[in-house]
Amino acid sequence: MGVYPCQNSITMENVITIKDKRYPELLGKIGKDAPEKIYYKGNWDSEIFKNCLAVVGSRRLTSYGRKITEQLVTEIASAGVTIVSGFMYGGDEAAHKAAAEAGGRTIAVMPCGIDMIHPEYQEELYNKILENKGLIISEYEGKFPPANWTYPRRNRIVAGLSKAVLIVEAGLNSGTLITAEFAKKFGRKIFAVPGPLTSEVSKGTAQLIKEGAEVVTEARDILKDYNISLTKPNLAKPSLNIEGIEQEIINQLQKEPLEADNLARILGMSVSKIGTTLSLMQLKGFINQEGGKYYVD
Amino acid sequence: MLIKVPSVANLGLESIKVDVEVNLANRGLPGFEIVGLPDKAVDESKERVRAAISSSGIDFPAKKITVNLAPADIPKEGSLYDLPIAIGILSSILQFTVPDKSLFFGELSLDGSLRHTKGALLMALFAREAGFQDLYVPKDSANEAGAIKGVKVFPVENLFQLASHFLKRKNIEPAVYQENSDNLPAPAEFDMKEILGQEQAKRAMEIAAAGGHNIIMVGSPGSGKTMLARALPGILPPLNEKESLEVTKIYSAAGSIPPGGSLITYRQFRAPHHTASPVGLIGGGTRPHPGEVSLAHRGVLFLDEFNEFPRQVMEAMRQPLEDGYLTISRSKEIVRYPADFMLVASANPCPCGYLNHPKKNCVCTPRQVRKYQKRISGPILDRIDLHITVQPVDATEFSDNQKNSELLESSETIRQRVILARKRQEERFEGESIQSNAQMKNSHIKKYCKLAKEVEQLLRQASMKFQLSARSYMKMIKVARTIADLEGAPEITVSHMAEVLQYRPKIYESI
Repeated sequence: MGVYPCQNSITMENVITIKDKRYPELLGKIGKDAPEKIYYKGNWDSEIFKNCLAVVGSRRLTSYGRKITEQLVTEIASAGVTIVSGFMYGGDEAAHKAAAEAGGRTIAVMPCGIDMIHPEYQEELYNKILENKGLIISEYEGKFPPANWTYPRRNRIVAGLSKAVLIVEAGLNSGTLITAEFAKKFGRKIFAVPGPLTSEVSKGTAQLIKEGAEVVTEARDILKDYNISLTKPNLAKPSLNIEGIEQEIINQLQKEPLEADNLARILGMSVSKIGTTLSLMQLKGFINQEGGKYYVD
Repeated sequence: MLIKVPSVANLGLESIKVDVEVNLANRGLPGFEIVGLPDKAVDESKERVRAAISSSGIDFPAKKITVNLAPADIPKEGSLYDLPIAIGILSSILQFTVPDKSLFFGELSLDGSLRHTKGALLMALFAREAGFQDLYVPKDSANEAGAIKGVKVFPVENLFQLASHFLKRKNIEPAVYQENSDNLPAPAEFDMKEILGQEQAKRAMEIAAAGGHNIIMVGSPGSGKTMLARALPGILPPLNEKESLEVTKIYSAAGSIPPGGSLITYRQFRAPHHTASPVGLIGGGTRPHPGEVSLAHRGVLFLDEFNEFPRQVMEAMRQPLEDGYLTISRSKEIVRYPADFMLVASANPCPCGYLNHPKKNCVCTPRQVRKYQKRISGPILDRIDLHITVQPVDATEFSDNQKNSELLESSETIRQRVILARKRQEERFEGESIQSNAQMKNSHIKKYCKLAKEVEQLLRQASMKFQLSARSYMKMIKVARTIADLEGAPEITVSHMAEVLQYRPKIYESI
């Protein structure tokens, strides 16, 4: 795993010890697991630790997982809840990104020294988190490299900081389930997103649900635990003037994401005509494309 | 006694006249010497000539024989000087005169017969330009040389026959050119109708074939990328006369025309493996030899597993992709080979191959995927007009009707549309140096592809949204022109342009 020093390193050592008054209260309650020192980047504001929700997901997040993460986190972060995650690609990255984009605050717990960005190609996200008054924290100083054992250790801080943990997608025996284990140990609530049983990364969440995790279908399920009532914003999309084939395509895509070939076959049209329509619809912003498949936002 | 027999030396696709001067001296010890920068094959000609003359029932003269290949400072290679040397010696001992305005060319076998020799077409072309009337070539190469009108080609079977011809005992009849009929239908391994699903990929292939556009297919193993590429020759238009001659010249220089073969009339499909050496692909060697990119001239260069090709090879293809030719510079000579090919590349999306696969899970980290995809450099991707993703097809998804290959479009039907589209392009570019839409330079695009306001607006909007480079922007217009040509439309419309957007560069969008 490649690691390199981050560009905007702050020379002054920013560190909070366990004896400090500003040390996060919830994290202090996890006993001997609590880290002695926390190094950080950004503006340390104790307010940020008041309402934390850990959002974790598989590194191999599916497009479904990404979509759900975006939906839930956008609403939750906008409601003022801090999103805590581990800055890994996949589920963590999706959670941080959605929170920052919604203008919410988010805390990234690094598996490496505070002067590193890992994975290094997520530098853009790193800066985005800081720009949105978020925090980057780590129990390791300087340029301490990430190792196999630092990832699960990092997860205990993710769970320890948060009132509850939301598991979006998790494989069996995955790092995501380790975070869930910590949450259980610390007595924090676990929320899990249901997913298709055929998917490898839904098996872990299915197991959690079996063991008593709360099923999440909308942001309100989580927010009620934070005593925030969501006045449902008028999400009804402005009625678009869609007709004919475009409507038919949207009807198909609402069921499941499809490729141009499938659509041509289902609708019995030539692929060039379908391609033309899809391009125009994508430009208008009705649909999006990922990995060759089209889907409706 | 000194005898001069004219022949040629081939440097790349150029020919230079070479005089084979043969001197038989009565003084001095008997011997046989060749001078004038001969290579090994030319030097060994001594032994072949000696044996061939003896086998023809003629005593080899016990004299001091000196052969000079003039001009003496140009390196000579190959076995084509066997015949002129033998004729020089024979004319001296049998006392016949070598006719004026004749060229000689061919390799001898030890029994006196002539073997098929590479470069016959280039020789005939040179003969016509330099004003030689008669051409004496091995019988197997006669049809190749005969493709050039205006030169009399004498097919020579063996040395004895040629000597009889000059001694006026039995004449050799000039060869009658025969067009090769077995060349005509392009040999494709698959018919398009054998390929189930993949509608968009097939459509992209049709567009690529119609405009000569480069295309890249990205997809998991077993998704049918190779099959699609192998079906491509079946939908390519035939070569026109001028193109056919260009291609045959290269093959003649490479010695790839079979005995009895003649003009190449179908587009070549070259599929070098990724372990091929840079010189093999690009061309080169101490005597610059055409590489795969030149052998694919006016045809298809299929590079399977594109990101496995060494970086050096990929980058070397930038010049031919842009200019349509390749200059090979060596200390002793500089050779220019045409290399105007249609690049068909296929690649996996990630090292394990299963990124975005509907059934299997990809086991690569984003970092590995990035690294893998970066092996194809931006400048190369920028030179590829059509980018498509190919997903594996699940046969169970198809109804019996859809599976029935008789109902699917055959390669021949598609080919007819492609030929029509090419014809429209040729008409449009009449008087220009280009023939297809893919060859258009920016000045041509300005001249022939005027975009209506709403089309330009759409393209602008798309290039902002999908972050297209300036070069991609131009490529889009070229491909849109081809789609319009397939339809027979005089102007590029919004729907043509919108379809092109389906084939935009998107390899880096997935992460």
